[in-house]
Amino acid sequence: MREHDVVVVGAGLAGMRAAIAAHEAGVDVALVTKLHPVRSHSGAAQGGINAALGNETEDNTDNHTFDTVKGADYIGDQDAIEILCARAPLEVYQLEHWGAVFSRQEDSGKIAQRPFGGAGFPRTCYAADLTGLVILHTLYTVCVKYNIPTYEEWFVTDLVTDDNGNAVGVVAYDMIHGQIETIGAKAVVMATGGAGRVYRPSTNAHASTGDAMSLALRKGVPLKDMEFMQFHPTTLAANGVLVTEGARGEGGYLLNKDGDRFMSKYAPNKLELASRDVVSRAEATEIQEGRGIDGCVLLDLRHLGRDRIMERLPQIRELAIAFAGTDPIEEPIPIRPGAHYHMGGVHVDNWGAAPHMPGLFAAGECSCVSVHGANRLGGNSLLEAVVFGARAGEASAAYAQEAPAPKVPGNAAQETQDRIEGLLARENGPRQGEIRDELATVMQEKVGVFREDATLREAKATVDELKQQFQGVVVDDKGKTFNTDLIHTIETGYLLDLADCMVTGAIARHESRGAHSRTDFPERDDENWMKHTLAYLDDGEIRLDYSPVTMTKYEPQVRSY
Amino acid sequence: MASTTFRVFRYQPDSGDLESYHQDFNLDHEEKTTVLDALLRIQNEQDGTLAVRYSCRSAICGSCACKVNGKTVLACMTQVEEAKAESGSSTLQVDPIGNFAPIKDLVVDMTPFWDKFKAVKPFLIPDGPAPDKERLVPKAAMEKVAKESACILCAACYSECNSLAADPEFVGPAAFAWGYRFAADERDSQRKNRAKLYSGQHGIWDCTRCMFCNERCPKGVDPRDAIEKLGAIAFQEKVTKDKGARHAKAFLISMRTGGKLNEQLVGGFTDPVGGAFNAPLALRMLQKGKLPASPLTHKVKNRDQVTKLIKNVKETI
Repeated sequence: MREHDVVVVGAGLAGMRAAIAAHEAGVDVALVTKLHPVRSHSGAAQGGINAALGNETEDNTDNHTFDTVKGADYIGDQDAIEILCARAPLEVYQLEHWGAVFSRQEDSGKIAQRPFGGAGFPRTCYAADLTGLVILHTLYTVCVKYNIPTYEEWFVTDLVTDDNGNAVGVVAYDMIHGQIETIGAKAVVMATGGAGRVYRPSTNAHASTGDAMSLALRKGVPLKDMEFMQFHPTTLAANGVLVTEGARGEGGYLLNKDGDRFMSKYAPNKLELASRDVVSRAEATEIQEGRGIDGCVLLDLRHLGRDRIMERLPQIRELAIAFAGTDPIEEPIPIRPGAHYHMGGVHVDNWGAAPHMPGLFAAGECSCVSVHGANRLGGNSLLEAVVFGARAGEASAAYAQEAPAPKVPGNAAQETQDRIEGLLARENGPRQGEIRDELATVMQEKVGVFREDATLREAKATVDELKQQFQGVVVDDKGKTFNTDLIHTIETGYLLDLADCMVTGAIARHESRGAHSRTDFPERDDENWMKHTLAYLDDGEIRLDYSPVTMTKYEPQVRSY
Repeated sequence: MASTTFRVFRYQPDSGDLESYHQDFNLDHEEKTTVLDALLRIQNEQDGTLAVRYSCRSAICGSCACKVNGKTVLACMTQVEEAKAESGSSTLQVDPIGNFAPIKDLVVDMTPFWDKFKAVKPFLIPDGPAPDKERLVPKAAMEKVAKESACILCAACYSECNSLAADPEFVGPAAFAWGYRFAADERDSQRKNRAKLYSGQHGIWDCTRCMFCNERCPKGVDPRDAIEKLGAIAFQEKVTKDKGARHAKAFLISMRTGGKLNEQLVGGFTDPVGGAFNAPLALRMLQKGKLPASPLTHKVKNRDQVTKLIKNVKETI
């Protein structure tokens, strides 16, 4: 059996930052990832990373904290948000010192910052519209420099616990060599990213199937605030590919079919730079009320001019041409809201530690600390990934230094092997693709930007039915080597678990807050609902519980932009 | 709606058959369908054993490079109907990227690619401790490496590289683009050492300048340009012992002195020892009139224009 002090599952921003922090703390840490690290979906983040550097205007950590608390619609934990915003400048400087190619100010040579949604000051550091890619690559180069062992294309199938219920490793399928192996560890850090593939369209990669959340849920760990899925206001109609908020940060307009900048009706002060939930609802309303064009509204960048588009938004132009057949220099881009970022995740504390399972840590989109509450601000996800990735790395290393050698059950890999062989032996039944398609369609239609009781219950019934069907799912590929059919099937099982948590949480939450917008409960209800949802899996059913929100000095206010 | 035959490279070692073959899949699809979408539909609807790497489907993760009708592309960024129109055929042949060993179907063993990437020391090695805040870098200086920073390591360049086809040990275009990205970063302290590391056998001077990497890079990184800029850095850092560097230098001297190429000078300067062994060949070439009889430099008429050109080129690097 392979063994390390700390095993980090997932090698995007949060995972690699955690591994680097653990390595620097002096423990033996390894990365396990179903993709090569540079393929991780953090690389698709475009617009930027927030930090109150004050390079463009006066700014400070307090402003950043307030904007985030408000953006979260007062359900983010304020102590965690303070940690996030206070460490932000340090992490951005650290990335710069490691070589990140941030765009620079013309004269000073300092890191340039652009305005972003829901932010009072230009606070978003960027590398053109490739910020995620540049940071992902920077962290990978540090992992290469440190020679951190990396199990590339190893798909994790199980979280392993000992007799006391402590996390002591993972079981994974080595896709290239066709082996199933146990990797033991004193601490496990989960950082597998979001679950955007529950929906379609989605800005997320095919690989964004929320693996860690389901792995933890199945071992008794609760998931927090799962009903909060963010719909990004600007995604391409053809396939849901993201168009960065930076396009509006640079001055882009949103227009309806009459050519009106409709955001003046919904957010008279911040207009296109209101927070994402507000802009997505405005777009959905315009489209529903007949002022859209083929189910879309328009993002107009023409007035920015060729030079600015080529310098600041080159990737957006390339993607719009490739997927929408539209050159934004010449014409507006048809866009619509699309599933983008999941605020919910594995319930962890401010150090990324799971209170329900010693030895388990989580960071990044698969976790819920919570800093994003009911709605994440643009530019805060890359930030959360590096800040809480680093903290989870530090905390897991400290834990591992104190922990005894892990008592890994000897039959862990064999159990997985038997289960997979059973699955492969099945000959007749539905394939995962059909189940996944139906799941994504129902979630999009019935658990979308606007929600109401009757349709949410219909969605729940479909999810239950699909979970039933999944019991008889058939895998076409019976081979050992690079069996993507098998992996997709296991992933579809994860998606079903997570969809169930999302719908169940959404049915119960009788209010509208951030990204969770109920037409039958249109107001925020602080008296009854200023609390986190915790979803547990009990005998195949989702059971809900709640936990309090931590407040420091920010009293809830009416949220307008 | 449209209809397309996909002729897909198959290699299924688990089946015990170690021979590769092509298999036709017919698919009815919407006009706007990418090659990746089509492959995933085939996988979902017709044959779950089809193996292909992919993830983001938005041309940024670099997973899905493959050859479509012989030309390396990102499958997610390639429209089926456009590829058909370009080739004038209703069949699209899909093959794995070139210069790699297959693992299964379109999935290849990328190990040599990653090993070479790591071999160029792809990380910033600054001089001295970091300041409290960010290092100050002029906008123009940072933009010098912006193009290479957009490399997504998809290996499309590696797939098309003719130098690699001849010499599998050649480091390759992507790794050198990354090499340049660090060598030209003014925060890095290893400019000269990098010039040395990237020279020598299988190094920058072994590039055949076929330009395929520039042409096929889906992100406009232009790896050949990066290799050229590394050559210039090698000259600036006086790392010129390499045969390739000497060859380039001989060109330059020959241009400066005569304004045109002097083969004897170039041959002799590039490889004085090997050149002597080639003396019989040179003699025979001389007899057949393939070499100018006099080793003295010929001079072109408008040599000032050549000098101007050299100056211009120098200034642009």
